[in-house]
Amino acid sequence: MVKLPSIHIGKLSVLLAILVWLALLFVDLVRLFGIINEMDSGISDEITWILEILFFFTLYGFYNYSVGKNIQGDFVNLLWRAASTGIFATGIALITELFYISMGDSKLATEPFLKNFFYHVNFALTAIFLISSALLWKHLILYQKNKKVVQQWQTFEFAMLLAMFFVFFNKNNFDYSFLFAMVILFAIIIVLSGNLKWIPYLTFKEKWKSLLFLFLMLVCTGYLFKRLLAYGEAEIYQVNLTDNLFLMALFMFIFTYALFSFLVTLFNLPTSSVFEQKLTEAINFQRLSQSIQPDDDEEQVLDILLDSCMSASYSDGAWIEINPEGQIEGINQLRFLDEATKEELSELIKTQKSAIGWASTDQPEMLQPLLVRLEHPRYESTLLIPLVINKVAIGRMVLCKEVRDGFNKEMVNIISTFVRQACIAVENHRLLNQAIQNERYQEELKIAQRVQKALLPAKLDHPDEFDICAFSNAADEVGGDYYDTYKLDENRYVLIIGDVSGKGTSAAFHMAQMKGVFQSLIQLNLSPAQFMIKANSALGKCLERNHFITASIFLINIAEQKICHSRAGHVPTLLYKAKEAKSDYLFSDGLGLGILRNKQYENHVQEETFAYESGDILVLITDGIVEAKNQKGQQFGFERIKSLVEIHHDKSPKEIQNQLIDSLHVFVGGDGMIEDDYSMMVVKFQNSVAQTNQ
Amino acid sequence: MLRLEKTKENRSDILSLFGEVDASNSVILDEAIQELVASGTKSLIIDGKNLEYISSAGLGVFMSYLEDFQDQEISMKICELTPRVFEVFRILGLDQLIPIYPDRAAAFAE
Repeated sequence: MVKLPSIHIGKLSVLLAILVWLALLFVDLVRLFGIINEMDSGISDEITWILEILFFFTLYGFYNYSVGKNIQGDFVNLLWRAASTGIFATGIALITELFYISMGDSKLATEPFLKNFFYHVNFALTAIFLISSALLWKHLILYQKNKKVVQQWQTFEFAMLLAMFFVFFNKNNFDYSFLFAMVILFAIIIVLSGNLKWIPYLTFKEKWKSLLFLFLMLVCTGYLFKRLLAYGEAEIYQVNLTDNLFLMALFMFIFTYALFSFLVTLFNLPTSSVFEQKLTEAINFQRLSQSIQPDDDEEQVLDILLDSCMSASYSDGAWIEINPEGQIEGINQLRFLDEATKEELSELIKTQKSAIGWASTDQPEMLQPLLVRLEHPRYESTLLIPLVINKVAIGRMVLCKEVRDGFNKEMVNIISTFVRQACIAVENHRLLNQAIQNERYQEELKIAQRVQKALLPAKLDHPDEFDICAFSNAADEVGGDYYDTYKLDENRYVLIIGDVSGKGTSAAFHMAQMKGVFQSLIQLNLSPAQFMIKANSALGKCLERNHFITASIFLINIAEQKICHSRAGHVPTLLYKAKEAKSDYLFSDGLGLGILRNKQYENHVQEETFAYESGDILVLITDGIVEAKNQKGQQFGFERIKSLVEIHHDKSPKEIQNQLIDSLHVFVGGDGMIEDDYSMMVVKFQNSVAQTNQ
Repeated sequence: MLRLEKTKENRSDILSLFGEVDASNSVILDEAIQELVASGTKSLIIDGKNLEYISSAGLGVFMSYLEDFQDQEISMKICELTPRVFEVFRILGLDQLIPIYPDRAAAFAE
């Protein structure tokens, strides 16, 4: 397949324009030749007009394409483009005029063909200038466009299109219809020329440049118009190209809009600094409201704040003071002042009555900026603005001016807004940092939770003679409850349950110590009472003064079917006797570990040995279960546990445990929280004979 | 919620407890006892008539003074505990270390 080269609109329209212009020149010259030689060339005026209109269209096509492509909001550049085209067209026109003046009455000067050629050149350049400028004006008019402006422009374009063909109707006569059409077009042009929204956005310097370019355009337009009128009066040009409504209206448009722009820019010059100031304020405001990144420091915000406020109020000096409790370290914000002058001014401010009352207010969030007059040789007025973050005054900003009463209401307003915004930014920054910190703590706690879970046995040692299960739940992320099992030999097993006083992190650390002590002592093959004595002396050395541990230890001998038990202040263990079908708490005397940290402890330890039978159940608990409260403030209590175990005695340890936990949750209530750590271990003895028979 | 009331009777300082002692407010109880010790008391009676609940953290406060009081010869007695609170003292074994009386008169009598 043959691939067609993509059509380049710009080049194509330039080529077309040149061809049309050459055709126009040729047609006119041929006609002129016919007239001079008194021959009828048979070329009517309409052909010229059609070619002229075609020429306008191709120019419009080219500039519409190139202006739309190259202009990006730089107004001065745009004006320069229009002005430079104008200067070029004017320059050529001037050269032509000078040429004819210098020729005087020579033969060459009266040569009709040459004259016609120059006429066509000037016409083409003028048309280029007018059409390109009109399209540049379009860009300016439609800056910050709305529907209304677009409609106005479309109306104008349509009217211009009609004006192009007006020549067929009017036959190039200057009559009333021509005048009438001119008036209508002029009205539209005046309305359009009111759209000058681009001017305020020019900086002061740009405005001066624009004024120069606009002035050049006015001069060029004026001169070219005069030239064309001069051509129109001369009889030598057989078909008048330039007394054309379209061209006349374009002249009007270019001239009027340039004039309006020139005047408006001129009168905008004195106020342009205000507009620039407002623009800077808006940008500063945006900079302040962008929240500080977590890594940035707050000083940076105060830095921007001080600069913004100074430029907003045209201050001659300023500083920021931070109260000692303001939590911003090492801040030294001074502008155009030395330390000595700052001290001088601070002292002067302190002598002002209004400033004293202002500084000692107890409601900083209600504080308004304060204007103070000073008796200082240089700085005669100051403005004090409180910096209030989270209802706490962290400091103040002081702005100084060399004139008396130098701060007006607008300045105070904008500065107050700046300060509020900066304070919000700092506050947000602090909150964000806090949130990040909290998240880190949460993460640490999760790790602690995981580590602590690992301190409890994953698998409980037990022979076939008894079944066992255990459960533990901490009120906070970590807790102080502990349970464990240990196999001494084939026939002897140890069960332990312990509870550190208090809860949370401190309890968790002590629980870890307890595990260490218990695991070491258990291997020494001690009797339960001896175990408690040793544990007391070991833990007494490492527990905090007001902390203690309660524990229960059970040494189960499955060969003798006996249990040896000692209780160190721990919640009594429930023993269900299958034979009697009733249960009781094992309440032997005993003292918590770490309460007496001397030899006297030995007097408070007891040891009990009892026999067990198949079907007996041991329920080891911590006080979290007993003391769990419902909404009425009643405790779960010993009796409930007891009766629940009696009811469910024939179930497996796991089922009994689940039954107890479920009942506990029902008791506490749907969304009630159990305030303490709670744990339990359930042991059920089985008939080993029966099992061996299986 | 815990409320404390300090009174003096028969040359003894009486600290009456109202409400509950738990981990969150055991510090208040500790401070109150410290103040009484600092004021030079030699006989301290804790009135538990209106004490509804005491957690292990609360018991830890009493426990932490045992040795100090022994050294400084300060007597600490507890009286009129509700059965529920008394049970807590008894389970831990503190009743073996701190004399507990059924009423104030009995505490004075000793």
